[in-house]
Amino acid sequence: MAAADLFVDVAAQSGLDFVHFNGATGELYFPEMMGQGGALLDYDNDGDLDAYFVQGAMLGPGKSPVPVPRGRLYRNDVSLHFVDVTEKSGLDARGGYGMGAATGDIDNDGWVDLYLTNYGSNRMYRNNGDGTFTDVTQRTGTGYPRWSVGAAFFDMDRDGWLDLYVANYVDFSVEKNPKCYAASSRRDYCGPADFPPQPHTLYRNRGDGTFEDVTARAGIRQPGPGLGVIAFDADRDGWTDVYVANDGAPAFLWMNQKDGTFRDDALLAGAAVNRRGQPEAGMGVTAGDFDADGDEDIFRTHLTGETNTLYVNDGTGLFEDRSTETGAAQGSLPFTSFGTRWFDYDNDGWLDLFITSGAVRLPLPQTDQLYRNVGGRLEEVAGAVSGAPAVGRGAAFGDVDNDGDTDVLVFYNNGPARLLMNQAGNRRPWTGVDLGGALGARVEVRRSGAPALWRRVHTDGSYASASDPRVLAGLGGKEMTTVRIHWPGGKVEEWRGLPTGRYILRGNQQ
Amino acid sequence: MKTLSLLSLVSFLSFQSLPPALQPPSLEGLEPEVAAQLRDARALLDALQTEAAPPEELADAYGELGRLYHAYGLAEAAAPAYANAAAQAPKDFRWPYYLGHLEQAAGRLAEAETSYRKALELQPGFLPAWVHLGEVLLAGNRPDEAERILKEVLASSPKDAAARAVLGEVALSRRQYREAVEHLETALAAAPDADRLHHPLAMAYRGLGDVDKAREHLSKAGRVGVRPADPLMDELAQLRQGEMAHLLRGRVAFRFGRFADAAAEFRKAVEARPDSVPARINLGAALTQTGDRKGAVSQFQEALKIAPDNGTAHFNLALLLVQDGYDTEAVKHLEEAIRIEPRDGAAHLELAQLLERTGRPAAALIHYEKAAGLLPQDERAWMGPANLLVRMERYREALEVLEAAHGNLPASGRVTYGLARLLAAAPDPALRNGKRALDLALKVHSARGTAADAETVALALAESGRCDEAAEWQRNAVEAAHREGPPDRVPAMEKELTRYETGAPCRPGG
Repeated sequence: MAAADLFVDVAAQSGLDFVHFNGATGELYFPEMMGQGGALLDYDNDGDLDAYFVQGAMLGPGKSPVPVPRGRLYRNDVSLHFVDVTEKSGLDARGGYGMGAATGDIDNDGWVDLYLTNYGSNRMYRNNGDGTFTDVTQRTGTGYPRWSVGAAFFDMDRDGWLDLYVANYVDFSVEKNPKCYAASSRRDYCGPADFPPQPHTLYRNRGDGTFEDVTARAGIRQPGPGLGVIAFDADRDGWTDVYVANDGAPAFLWMNQKDGTFRDDALLAGAAVNRRGQPEAGMGVTAGDFDADGDEDIFRTHLTGETNTLYVNDGTGLFEDRSTETGAAQGSLPFTSFGTRWFDYDNDGWLDLFITSGAVRLPLPQTDQLYRNVGGRLEEVAGAVSGAPAVGRGAAFGDVDNDGDTDVLVFYNNGPARLLMNQAGNRRPWTGVDLGGALGARVEVRRSGAPALWRRVHTDGSYASASDPRVLAGLGGKEMTTVRIHWPGGKVEEWRGLPTGRYILRGNQQ
Repeated sequence: MKTLSLLSLVSFLSFQSLPPALQPPSLEGLEPEVAAQLRDARALLDALQTEAAPPEELADAYGELGRLYHAYGLAEAAAPAYANAAAQAPKDFRWPYYLGHLEQAAGRLAEAETSYRKALELQPGFLPAWVHLGEVLLAGNRPDEAERILKEVLASSPKDAAARAVLGEVALSRRQYREAVEHLETALAAAPDADRLHHPLAMAYRGLGDVDKAREHLSKAGRVGVRPADPLMDELAQLRQGEMAHLLRGRVAFRFGRFADAAAEFRKAVEARPDSVPARINLGAALTQTGDRKGAVSQFQEALKIAPDNGTAHFNLALLLVQDGYDTEAVKHLEEAIRIEPRDGAAHLELAQLLERTGRPAAALIHYEKAAGLLPQDERAWMGPANLLVRMERYREALEVLEAAHGNLPASGRVTYGLARLLAAAPDPALRNGKRALDLALKVHSARGTAADAETVALALAESGRCDEAAEWQRNAVEAAHREGPPDRVPAMEKELTRYETGAPCRPGG
């Protein structure tokens, strides 16, 4: 198969006619350049992934297009045909400038809920289970009012309820939009260093439909220009930690102290800055077992002139920048990259990378990239992604057509989205596990004659986007022997004799 | 540099093909001085071409144009200009060298390698080119070749910090931690300002298992890197003209504490654009640092004439007015700063302190509260109101402030001390909590161990009815007070000691 056929955009023919609007008027408001993501989520529990698109707005004085742009929800019908159900859903995300989306079942009712980050007040929407959502921002107390981008649902205290980490960005205001200049002396967009970074927010789910802001109590104190965020167990102690990609500042690695508090040890852990000690413009982030040694490694995307960075985990939560040695750095310097994820596009048992990019200085459009993992060495697959260069930001990942490989929904700034259907993966054996959104659960797929595959149930990571919570593991041509589920509460369950080539459904057993 | 043999110059490609056409950039939006500079350089080239000037003159004109484009970050325009310069003067090493820089920055590693090698063929003794070639080879995952080249640089210039730093990186990439330590320690000894090197050095110590040493270096890590002494790149930086260039250079000088140089650059920025508010504010700040307060005040006042709503100018002017005793005027400027930017925590804090000092405690408390909300990590925003409330005999509120402060700054000795003290000896006995006071007092004593800290432990013990132990601690406190001096406080402490020695009840104030 020619590389150009690996991912094919079918957005237009599948009814995904969403076009992002960034409201740019020439005033160079910072949020215009930073947007935006979206989500792949099965909001109606019909077994296939639906799509939510985050929308921008007009900032400052200016005429807004009619109708006013708004975030949109599309239902995926059986035949990969999407229908705009925004009006019916009750999702009315107007009023803020949309940045990102996070998904998780906050009330354990079996229906996925939706959290939207904004420049402006964030919003929490509860899924009513009948195709509609209710805005529960006020009731849950999760409406951080300034500027947030990334957010991650995870169970910080193993009580069975999803808590929420929100990565807040910088203290920008339209009213006080400063003038910034490029090296040429021409006026340009400001960068994160031109504004005070914001403290982040941690909300603990009380289990009664409300959340408590435990940020200070949890020790989450220092501010940082946060963008991408991912929750995973960095040191494999059974407690979920949080990694935050800060833009132009050292990253945070909040290690869970198992008592409701967290301690940032990213510097000593070797995951705050690159090997040279330089903080980089952290945008998107993903964590996964790229080298098949049972722990999760961090990959981060960055600005043009910086490499993307791969931090390899030694299994104890200590990381080492191995970007150059693994091939992750090569080919990344010309790109300003955002959405990304470890996923096994060809089901060979090794986690590959998709990266969407778009500059923040003219010229903006860039091409998306696919890196194939060849036994722990990343190699760019030239021409793998269809479509002209565009301004890539968020990316959500999931098996949209349930055919056993991972597709990608890419969100482009001020342009149409693309639904990139994977044309290659399902030719190899795979297994799928649907744990009913038990975020943080780890799935260990044991194979004969090959290392176990460790995958985690998560929707977070990438950039401002939420992905399919189902685990899809390519078996790499090996025979699957057992599947072990390591539930977030510590329970381990083992399954034998499972069929391949289909999703195994198991409700949340926390 | 005889040790660097041309035999190592593999895959050399000469500039034999026709040079690319110039790509003049748009001058729209550039500062007038910058646009004029670029136009003049281009006009000179055009004139020389018209009169069929000799190749060396044409080369210089192309090269100068390229350098100007390069200096102003117009890389796409600079590259063809350098290529044309090289075509006209193929023996001039500067043009491939500059081109190499552009290619390296853009991540075009193969092209950068070719250009640097070409430059080195022409000028083998130019060390910066060898160092950059080493960087390029390392970035391309060719550490052996990088090492060979950089070791030859060291043979010629043993103290070259830049070469040492890259060799440290090579060693880290191979996990040769002892060697990494050696190179990086040497680099730091040669370039102690290059505090960024503390990070890779910390990683090397971590690799050796010396976590304490790693943490020590992480605490020193900053953002200043190291680069080879490079007259050609220095020349490039000096080409920049106009307000922005001077501002940039001034800010760099300011950051490194070269305030007189900074003031000189900012003054040039003012001369380039007399109505530039940033130039005047920066000049005012630099003059303040050089001790020229009168000049600084004048610059801030000028800035406010141009932009009456500039909060920074109001704030900075207020600070100077306070120092000169013009409190009423200072209050007005701080109030203006807050009106303009209500979230300016520093302005709230300064105003609170000023209001307190000038006998308006109620108004001061309002601004302290705002400051604490906006600057939760600033001790002064908490201790100011806590001390004020104690002086106003509003102990319960003081305790609330200190509790909140402790929640935000649990590691602050000052806050912990204040809280322990109030819990041990608040004039309102209902507010006391001897056990908690003792916990906190012991914690702060173990961290700082001053006479006052020992005295607080004694107070807490006394509050808990443990008079003998209180007496023992108080004796230690008295001894420490004698050591620390001055002895003014000793008589009062001895009086307390007598009370403790008398036995129960020995509660403070009891």
